Amino acid sequence: MSHIHLEVEHLNFSYEPQVPILQDISFYAGEQEAIGIVGANGVGKSTLLKLLVGLDLRFTGSIRLEEIPLSRETLPKVREKIGYVFQDSEAQLFMTTVEEDVAFAPRNYGLPEDEVQRRVDKALAKVHIEHLRKKPIYKLSGGEKKLASIATILSMTPDVILMDEPSVALDPKNRRNLIHVLHEFDHLKLIASHDLDFILDTCNRVILMDGGQIVADGAAADILKDEALLEAHGLELPLSLYGKK
Amino acid sequence: MSKINQAIYEIQKLDAMAKEDRWMNNLHPLVKLVLTIYYITLTVSFHKYQVEGLLAMCIYPVACFIIGELSIRDALHRLRIVLPLVCIVGVLNPFFDRTPVGAFGGLMITGGMISMLTLMIKGVLTVFASYILIATTSVEGICYAFRLVHVPKIMVTQFLLIYRYMTVLLEETKRMTQAYALRAPGQRGIHISAWGSMVGQLLLRSMDRAQEVYESMCLRGFTGEFPQGKPKKQSRGDVGYLLFWLVLLFVLRTYPVFALIGGLFV
Repeated sequence: MSHIHLEVEHLNFSYEPQVPILQDISFYAGEQEAIGIVGANGVGKSTLLKLLVGLDLRFTGSIRLEEIPLSRETLPKVREKIGYVFQDSEAQLFMTTVEEDVAFAPRNYGLPEDEVQRRVDKALAKVHIEHLRKKPIYKLSGGEKKLASIATILSMTPDVILMDEPSVALDPKNRRNLIHVLHEFDHLKLIASHDLDFILDTCNRVILMDGGQIVADGAAADILKDEALLEAHGLELPLSLYGKK
Repeated sequence: MSKINQAIYEIQKLDAMAKEDRWMNNLHPLVKLVLTIYYITLTVSFHKYQVEGLLAMCIYPVACFIIGELSIRDALHRLRIVLPLVCIVGVLNPFFDRTPVGAFGGLMITGGMISMLTLMIKGVLTVFASYILIATTSVEGICYAFRLVHVPKIMVTQFLLIYRYMTVLLEETKRMTQAYALRAPGQRGIHISAWGSMVGQLLLRSMDRAQEVYESMCLRGFTGEFPQGKPKKQSRGDVGYLLFWLVLLFVLRTYPVFALIGGLFV
């Protein structure tokens, strides 16, 4: 098991000086935590995740993975430890077959071919899509694409997983499957989603964002049951909690 | 099926075809690449009046179509735009070169006619040779072969990325034209007033998508070179196949085999 933690301190980010996207974001994410990043549309959830993997380095403040500060020089080292699942699976899958896409990262990291195949087998088995191994990407359904894109990062054996709206396009069975996969992944997870039921099922901690800032950070069970807090920031109670107050 | 759908379908089908488990597909990509280049070089090196020599070179594509289990009908369908273009290259030759070289029935054959025919055959044969390579070898395989012959990494990567982004661009075009068509029932094509914004949007959207694909690649350790997987070793079959064609094509290029065979019967 990894002992990787993530520390974000006074993170600010904007595309234009007068329009801040993220303001003074600070949090500590410990090993094995499952953190849901929730908030209404456009509050900066996806941007925050993208900054955490260094897809944009024009931020102020600091992001540290273990003791490694995120910078241009440390990017390869940091990215080796973080798996990022894009909101749009189409962007994540670019090789011709599922197998090739899942093998892309291990091959890039120069692993021997036997190890690459072992990782591909394991990643596909983990999300239960072994039968899609040879299938061309263009023939996959939306849900299969999502699972395949998760397999592409599992084959990296990351220490941290970041997921942007992972439950989108999944049918109930695949959704349950994904929840199971996330429970089995015993490292640090950060999941940005509107799907509060999904967050409730997968995360023990929630960071609530609004206007590019963190407005609440605490136990998932507490924050996601606080109807007044959620409504004040443009959200609603998870469907599973309606009428259970 | 719309033209865009058709184009996407063709690319995907060609990709799938190249990955099929067939004898010719399983040959080492380097063998196929070397043979294709060798064949094209020999074919274009024929003199402009050497039609009979060129006809002998037809053996290679014909044999490959049979061995590779490729459909000539599909090939002609896919190359329906390229082949006529290749054929019109020498269309003006009969006007410039009027030297009589013989007669056929009552018709005088000029040097220009022969050279036009030669150019056409050369064009068609080289296009078919390239098609055989593409239809039996994946793009990754071709790029792997390029790297083995030391084509610069940057060029190979550019080639691969362009190939990948071609589909991205087509997919975006498809989405946009579908969205347009659904709100313009009964209208054929896209109205000229929407062209500007459509092209602008297409450019921006495909750039966004391409950026995301690139980011996804970088996040998975991409540093400028596509990983090739298990390096394929050349088998005896690969070497034998290569040597057979190298020798046969050389003989066909050097000796007027058809004329010699014909001479046996005269």
